[in-house]
Amino acid sequence: MTTNDFLFEIGTEELPPKSINKLAASLANSVEQSLTKNSLTFTELKTFATPRRLALLITDLANKQPDQKIERRGPSVAAAFDKDGNPTKATLGFAASCKTTADKLTTIKTDKGEWLTYTLKQTGKTAIQLLPEIISNAIKKLPLPKAMRWGNNDETFVRPVHWLVMLYGNKVIPYELFGIKADNKTHGHRFHHPEAITISEPKKYAEQLNKVGMVIADFDKRQKEIIKQIQKSTHRHPASHPCHPVLDTGSRSTRSVQSSKHTVDSAVKPQNDAAQELLNEVTNIVEWPVVLTGTFPESFLKLPPEVITSTLQKHQKCFTLYDDKGKLLPNFITVSNIKSKKPKQVVAGNERVINARLSDAEFFFNTDQKQPLAAHCEQLKHVVFQSKLGTIYDKTLRLEKLATYIANKINADKTLSRRAALLSKADLMTQMVGEFPELQGTIGFYYAKKDKEPLEVAKALQEQYLPRFAGDKLPTTLTGCALAIADKIDTIVGIFGINQIPTGEKDPYGLRRAALGILRIIIEKQLDLDLQDLITEAARNYTIKFSNNNLSSQAVEFILERLRAWYLEEGTSPQVFAAVLAKFPTRPLDFKQRIKAVNAFIKLPEAEALAAANKRVSNILRKANTDNLKHKISEKLLLEPAEQDLAKQLLQKAQKTEELYKEGKYTQTLQNLASLKKPIDNFFDNVMVNCEDEALRNNRLALLTKLRDIFILVADISLLQQ
Amino acid sequence: MKKQQLTFQDMIFALQQYWAEQGCVIMQPLDLDVGAGTFHPASFLRAIGPEPWNAAYVQPCRRPTDGRYGDNPNRSQHFYQFQVILKPAPLEIQEVYLGSLKAIGVDPLTDDIRFVEDNWESPTLGAWGIGWEVWQNGMEISQFTYFQQVGGLECKPVTGELTYGLERLAMYIQEVDSMFDLVWTYGPKGAVTYGDIFHQNEVEMSTYNFEHAATKNLFEHFDYYEHECKNLLEVNLPLPAYEMVLKASHAFNLLDARNAISVTERQRYILRIRTLAKTVAESYYQMREQLGFPLLNN
Repeated sequence: MTTNDFLFEIGTEELPPKSINKLAASLANSVEQSLTKNSLTFTELKTFATPRRLALLITDLANKQPDQKIERRGPSVAAAFDKDGNPTKATLGFAASCKTTADKLTTIKTDKGEWLTYTLKQTGKTAIQLLPEIISNAIKKLPLPKAMRWGNNDETFVRPVHWLVMLYGNKVIPYELFGIKADNKTHGHRFHHPEAITISEPKKYAEQLNKVGMVIADFDKRQKEIIKQIQKSTHRHPASHPCHPVLDTGSRSTRSVQSSKHTVDSAVKPQNDAAQELLNEVTNIVEWPVVLTGTFPESFLKLPPEVITSTLQKHQKCFTLYDDKGKLLPNFITVSNIKSKKPKQVVAGNERVINARLSDAEFFFNTDQKQPLAAHCEQLKHVVFQSKLGTIYDKTLRLEKLATYIANKINADKTLSRRAALLSKADLMTQMVGEFPELQGTIGFYYAKKDKEPLEVAKALQEQYLPRFAGDKLPTTLTGCALAIADKIDTIVGIFGINQIPTGEKDPYGLRRAALGILRIIIEKQLDLDLQDLITEAARNYTIKFSNNNLSSQAVEFILERLRAWYLEEGTSPQVFAAVLAKFPTRPLDFKQRIKAVNAFIKLPEAEALAAANKRVSNILRKANTDNLKHKISEKLLLEPAEQDLAKQLLQKAQKTEELYKEGKYTQTLQNLASLKKPIDNFFDNVMVNCEDEALRNNRLALLTKLRDIFILVADISLLQQ
Repeated sequence: MKKQQLTFQDMIFALQQYWAEQGCVIMQPLDLDVGAGTFHPASFLRAIGPEPWNAAYVQPCRRPTDGRYGDNPNRSQHFYQFQVILKPAPLEIQEVYLGSLKAIGVDPLTDDIRFVEDNWESPTLGAWGIGWEVWQNGMEISQFTYFQQVGGLECKPVTGELTYGLERLAMYIQEVDSMFDLVWTYGPKGAVTYGDIFHQNEVEMSTYNFEHAATKNLFEHFDYYEHECKNLLEVNLPLPAYEMVLKASHAFNLLDARNAISVTERQRYILRIRTLAKTVAESYYQMREQLGFPLLNN
């Protein structure tokens, strides 16, 4: 078989940096799948992606599909020939459909009879024939973030397309897309080498682009180059932290380590990888990275560090630098896209922008502080929280009550919690948060501190939005916990109350994330809170009438459901989770204890049999007439030794089990029941529950009811059966 | 600034010259209060329908909420945009745009020019587009947009819109840190600065916008312009009707600067303007159609 390398490149205007890698991966996946489906073999498929191109290099791609033999079956032999032995219409039709004549058909015998068959030979198509469609399909399947039209075109794509390369070996495959004809010519860097570069052979693509075009086409290589240059230049910076830029980016507050592996919420991006995200983004806005370092006036270091990092990272896509103690330095790193004739001019330009932005921030910072934070609360009366749920000011009033209620339950300071709740949303009205919306809470913290509010209150303002994403840190203060929980519960209750319950991908108010946040705080901070109580309390604080009558149960269920992913990821089986959920424990700490107990229980040798027995019991009870389940166990009606024994042992166990259960010793509660395996097995081996005699039958059902009652205390053991 | 650098007015001349050479109609600013060059009929209305159109013009913009009493070196309630409209957007529009930067002395092998993703949406105009901010050494100097929809109508063909922030660009070219230090031109007595011309205006207009604009009357004006716009549409006068949209929009901006509109009401006012803009767009399209889309024949 002959093989050749294949190169596909689509040259575009600047692509959205955060979508580039997804687009490249999708292109590669679709093409790979099609090649496999079409039996076109290859050894390697490599992806390239820059702001102005997506490309694939497929090495040793077979030049054609193998020939295929396809056996087709026609009419049965009985129906194939008429009484004179001539082929029937069906036979002639079949032969024609196989492009042959009736005399060339063969027969096959099966257990269902004898049939006419014909083996078609299908010559494999060539790669050159197949590739255009494979590429077209892959392009159609690309997950475009926002499709656009350009010029007079009707077709849409992510950005206008300028050139196409379709090269198999040294042959251009005839192909056209978006009115552009495929060729063997790419283009280099927008400024350094805009001219066409003829690709001599697919394998030389990256090398030619690099050496001639001043483009590093490979994402990983480009990123490595950026890291290398940053390391080199930060060494030259004596004051800076000479390490991987990843350590120097991202808001540091999000980098502290919290045990939170288990929180996966697909709706939330892992922002604690903010540093890596910035690095990825920067990698995708340059084709020829040149790292430059600049400085800004030290006087700006008086601003909250978050303001500086937000300005530099989010707005200017620069990296920040820290000293050995983790303190921000008045330096930054920018990655430019050209090898400038005057790098100093590029640096000076960036410095001027950063200077201007920080001056602006300083202006807002000073203006805001002309009045105390609390003075901004009044304006919240004009800001809508949700059109049916009133203003943010209304929410603040509710939070005061709810945070006080929670504080009381978790032994936090009620006065401080109330104060924190009152101030919680005031910073939304400051110019600083207007300019840096991502700093809500943080700005409140700084202003409250300046106003000499108790430190606990200031911290709570910052902590109210925690955790913001999977793996984020939790509030450190109890006041912060009370406010963070209150804020989230209030939103969940309000939104559920007006029936805007999240469905599928749609969760505009981030309720899943809020629910998970509530659970994490309660469980990891070991707070004795009951979701049902919290929801009832939160609903009471709303003055409007809710349209949803099932608000309470739906909201509790919604929050508890978040625990599923949590525990499953921790290694708890779906059965154990279901067994506990069946009990609907509304105190998250209690939920956790039950999971722990059941996880211990399933390791017992008796567990499997007991689960099976409970399943059987629950099936029997479910099928029984409810009227028959109202009876008490009568000792006189216990005829068989096996049922007498079970009754005796149940009686013995019952009291102890209930005691242990009431003390919250769930693991022991379940262990205490393990010894019932024998009498239960014995009972089912020797006693017929659904016997003829109604009195006996009802008595046995009563016995099983008792059995089920003590087994179902901690969790529904019957659900443990695989 | 150094003598050989372009003055503010030289820069405008250079841009006008360059775009005239590209076949653009060089227009003059719209004589009404607008928040952006896009509001000029030469952009908003000409983007509608099949007729080709290439134009460039300076547009003074008024954004009352951005006023800083002349204290902020980068922000003001009045500033200038240079607006270019190319319909249909030619495939090489980016190169043509970069040519204009070269015309005002920007060398893309010295300065780091980037196209940074930034899609545009105007809720009041019922318009959106795909595009970028253009950065020069980290500073946003232009907005670059492929209009996809205007006044609720699909743009076919697609118009390319280039908007230069003239003060920012000039601050860069003249290497000054405050817009008020920009040299507008050299007169008989030496440099005339942007501040000489506009600082008092910033102080007084900020004071007016934030402190004196009569909200009660502005609300009445808004209602009147809305009403008038509808009347004019009924007698098939989309151009005068469009002026009423612009006047209503500016009344809204002033009310916004006075914090006279709550967030909920804000949405409602935006929706009212959008409804007018959409109706005007449809009416304008019909009018051009009745005229036989005259520019198609040029």
